[in-house]
Amino acid sequence: MPSNAIRQLARDRSLFVPAGLFIVLLAAVATRGHGLFTMNGIAGAILVATPLILTALAITPIVMAGRGAVDLSVGPLMGFINVTLITWLVGHGVTNPVAVIGWAIGLGAAFQLIQALVIIYVRVVPIIVTLSGFLVLSGINLMVMSRPGGVAPDWMLSWGAGTSVFSPVLFLLLTAYVIWAGLRRTMFYRNLRMTGSDERMAYTSGVPVDTVRIIAHVVGGAFTGLAALSYTALISSGDPTQGSTYTLQAVTALVLGGASLSGGRGGALGSTLGAINMFLISYLLSTFNFGTVSGFVTQMAFGLILVGSLLVNVFVISRRAAA
Amino acid sequence: MENEITIRMVDVAKSFGETKALRKCDFEAHAGEVHAIVGENGSGKSTMAKIMSGVLHPDAGKVTILGEQITSPVDAKRVGLATIFQEVLVAEEASVFDNLFVGRDGIFRSEGNTGDRWREAETILARLVGKPVDLNEVVGCLPLSIKQWIVIARAILRSPKVLILDESSAALDLDSTIRLHEEIDRMRASGATILIVTHRIAELVRIADRATILRDGVTVGVLEKHEITEANLLAMMTPSDRRASEAKDYASKGRDGAGAILTARNLATHRTAAAFDFDLPQGAIVGVAGLDGQGQDAFVRAVAGIAQPFGGDVQVRSADTGKMTSVGTLDEAARAGISYVSGDRKREGIFPQQSIFENLAIGVYRKNLGPLGVIRKPSLKPMFKREVDRLRIKIGSPSNKITSLSGGNQQKVLIGRAFANDPQVIVLNDPARGVDLGTKRDLYRELRIFADKGGSVIYLSSEIEEFIGFADRVDVFFAGRLFRSLSGRDIAEEPILAAMFGQSRNTSVEFDLERTA
Amino acid sequence: MVSTVMKTDTGVTMRSNPLRTYKGISIGFGLLACLLVLGALLVPGFVSSQNARSILLLAAFLGLASIGQTLCALVGALDLSIPYIIGGANILLPSLMVAGLPAPVAMVLVLLLGALVGATNGALSFKLQGQALIMSLGVGFAAVGAVQIYTSLGSQFGGTVFAPVPEWLRNISAFNGKFFGLPIPPVIIIWAVVAIALGWLMHNTWFGRSIYAIGGSRTAAARLGISEFKVWTVIHSVSGAMSAITGMLLLGFSGGGFVGVGDPYLFTTVAAVVIGGTSLLGGAGGYGATVLGVLVLTVLTSLLVGLGLSFPAQQAVVGLLIVPMVAIYARSPHIRNQI
Repeated sequence: MPSNAIRQLARDRSLFVPAGLFIVLLAAVATRGHGLFTMNGIAGAILVATPLILTALAITPIVMAGRGAVDLSVGPLMGFINVTLITWLVGHGVTNPVAVIGWAIGLGAAFQLIQALVIIYVRVVPIIVTLSGFLVLSGINLMVMSRPGGVAPDWMLSWGAGTSVFSPVLFLLLTAYVIWAGLRRTMFYRNLRMTGSDERMAYTSGVPVDTVRIIAHVVGGAFTGLAALSYTALISSGDPTQGSTYTLQAVTALVLGGASLSGGRGGALGSTLGAINMFLISYLLSTFNFGTVSGFVTQMAFGLILVGSLLVNVFVISRRAAA
Repeated sequence: MENEITIRMVDVAKSFGETKALRKCDFEAHAGEVHAIVGENGSGKSTMAKIMSGVLHPDAGKVTILGEQITSPVDAKRVGLATIFQEVLVAEEASVFDNLFVGRDGIFRSEGNTGDRWREAETILARLVGKPVDLNEVVGCLPLSIKQWIVIARAILRSPKVLILDESSAALDLDSTIRLHEEIDRMRASGATILIVTHRIAELVRIADRATILRDGVTVGVLEKHEITEANLLAMMTPSDRRASEAKDYASKGRDGAGAILTARNLATHRTAAAFDFDLPQGAIVGVAGLDGQGQDAFVRAVAGIAQPFGGDVQVRSADTGKMTSVGTLDEAARAGISYVSGDRKREGIFPQQSIFENLAIGVYRKNLGPLGVIRKPSLKPMFKREVDRLRIKIGSPSNKITSLSGGNQQKVLIGRAFANDPQVIVLNDPARGVDLGTKRDLYRELRIFADKGGSVIYLSSEIEEFIGFADRVDVFFAGRLFRSLSGRDIAEEPILAAMFGQSRNTSVEFDLERTA
Repeated sequence: MVSTVMKTDTGVTMRSNPLRTYKGISIGFGLLACLLVLGALLVPGFVSSQNARSILLLAAFLGLASIGQTLCALVGALDLSIPYIIGGANILLPSLMVAGLPAPVAMVLVLLLGALVGATNGALSFKLQGQALIMSLGVGFAAVGAVQIYTSLGSQFGGTVFAPVPEWLRNISAFNGKFFGLPIPPVIIIWAVVAIALGWLMHNTWFGRSIYAIGGSRTAAARLGISEFKVWTVIHSVSGAMSAITGMLLLGFSGGGFVGVGDPYLFTTVAAVVIGGTSLLGGAGGYGATVLGVLVLTVLTSLLVGLGLSFPAQQAVVGLLIVPMVAIYARSPHIRNQI
């Protein structure tokens, strides 16, 4: 598997940027101190970064399916799963791990299934459908839980300790990779890429494009469920307000990772690198003492990073196409 | 087995909104035959092909392919039908191999062995292209001609029992068409049914066993091989009121003494191409021809100011000063009175959501501006009417959307746009591609009148037959440069063909119609 | 793109059905009428000059903010920096006034900065085309972060700025503002004038038609000598300028600068454009359609408020309605009709 990754890196030039950025950021973080490179540091990093990584992973197959399907609903969907988990399940005494995990994955998959069906049968442009999902869920989240609060199931409380690298949160992340790797070995991955690259070609060649799209969405929804679990572990409670932040970060991570927002090109490796880079950037910024403006500096930095990564992406792509 | 009926359409009708594309379509095809489907633009040929491919559903009637009714391309695949559509559909970021085998497998499961597929693909692609192609190559980096072959090979690799080619050879050059026909012969011999939807009468005369003619959405007749002649086909395709007239026989007038209105010196279309000179006499119609990719497209774009030539310089005689001025950019070309008409109207021609009026008049908006950049639309109405009448464009109301017109009429609007500018020189890049005969004749007539009044025309075409009786001179491109200029009696199929292949003047090309695989 | 082939040489002329051409607008008006009727029936006091004034006031702000969104949508882009520039302008203006600049000068400065940020947006996002909206998000984010850093210098509060708002600005935007003695907040008049002027310009000037040309077919527009880059950048610059103006006018409305004031405008401007029927793919629609979308949206919001829905619930309802509304105007053709 590692050699495959390296070979993929070498062949797919769109990964040069996120990989290069990753190395630069690690070096920069290293110069600011050793906090991150301890067991505790890495464990904590995994805890914070996993929801980021998983949301970026969640929107990857959806954007690969084409039609410019940038799923804006991913952040609020994660929030929705989180607050319903806390309010409707735990709040009513349902804390069985099977129920909780099943709820998270099932709800995510179900919501994305509905979105996929709307995209396919109503034939409204996907970004509008997901925009609608974003709005609806943002509102509903606040209706379910008007402010952050609640308590995670007790068996989850220890997950957020951040003391061990091999925590259940890491396990959630690995589950996602296992699922993704499994899909890659089947023809689904290729069908997905072809559908996203040119849907007319795929359709006329006999690819069942609608089914492919549905599966892509359902997988994304399941990943969002995993993200919600890791997020619940991180904050040990419910929070209906962070949806838009996670959407922004997931989309930035996606772009940083070299995926094409119009479909066909993308992958787990790129999105993971993109998300990790986002995490490293905020970590790096937190090591400087900006005082009261630190939040604004982070905001400005995220904006500039996004702008820069898009520009680089464009020039790497256009040079590659001309080659 | 020989005469087993593989495709049957009975009483098929299909409408798009108010447009009846097919009214009463009956059709039959057998195993082991090449069957052509012929008709003018708007006759329903493409709709027929799409219904047979499972892409469209008929409103009425019955369609059976190999004994089954198919409702989607997935069904078609299962039954053994493959279609090559007019548009080149490829995934630019994927490899040649992936593009060749798209859709061959289930959603998750693979239905074939990669090694076997690889070998088969290499063989067939090398045979079609004429040279080996690296299957790992990313398709986006390849030229259009190879992409076309990929689309064709994709269908052939399925070993289909029925193969439909919907105008697929329209953009192929001569050499490639021959190779394609060889492949078709091979498939016919193994019992497949091949349907060719085409405009190219000469081509189907060569290869078709039978031809079904469509007119206005109705099948008007079927011709057997010995009956397939240009005369018979044209007679069945055109409604009686248009048959009498217009011979395509405009005598080419001598243009001696007329000064050159446009010259190109030391023009190079490509890094490795030799430089050449070019002169366009005023009042002349100069045809530009060549096999695919021999530089004529780049030349024509350079002359129109759309693209920069690799080297050299284009000059045009200015209408005001009478002196030759350099033309390097689109702006300079426009100011010098050069108009450009592309045959690729979807990509570089029409504005699909705008009205017919706007599509035609937009070329002259800039010359009719008042204060604040306001467009003086009322003053453009007479011009619009004039162009519509002159080109015989059939429209309802000028404010209808341009997409309400047929392809041929849309092309006429684009030509009207060029004419409206009152140009000195009109450069046309394969404008008659995929356009019906009636429109072609209107076009030749208008360009002839334009030239007679002192305008000059550069007309690139991929069909040799267009030049005959129309062009005063034909410049043939080979290996990236202007290879030979032909005029007078040399404007005929054989000499032009010879030049396209880079042959010296004294040998004639043995165009072997009976060449077997 | 569905291309309908019409057989017209049989002598039958096809006149375009006027009802079909104006389908979008008649649906928009129909929707508006329905909502007004519903409001009249379900909410006491809905039909009153007070409510009308409050609806039009909110519509004016949304309408001005949506100008940029409409122009961008016509070329196939979306401007997600609008909320950030609105918020940034909302806090920058008082901040500059506190720093000593006279109000008119400060306003011109903020306007120019808004236009500059928009132009930057346009210039950088041009190459991206389909991904342009993400670029605008980044630029907006960076810009508002920078503004907040500036406004925080030397003060404890970065996100809110208190400064005396000039009386005339208050009058323009306030609910009880007076326009030459009439009980109409001047901002509504401003919006009306701008809307009419914009609609006319879009239809009758070369620049306006260039926008539609680019949205319809980039290559064909290039063949006409239209500088796509110039048009793209100017459009985004106008969007930035209008966002700055909206942000400044909102200061008159609320009385104090708050950076989050622009947040609702992110999706409401897109919703207004979409509901109005401008295709997000470019080339079709216009500001007239958006005005209708704005009115529908604000009437709907007013109706929901009257019914007692909380803001999150309103947001959810608007969100649920977007898809059906777009489905009426702008369903994509099935893939089989795109071959």
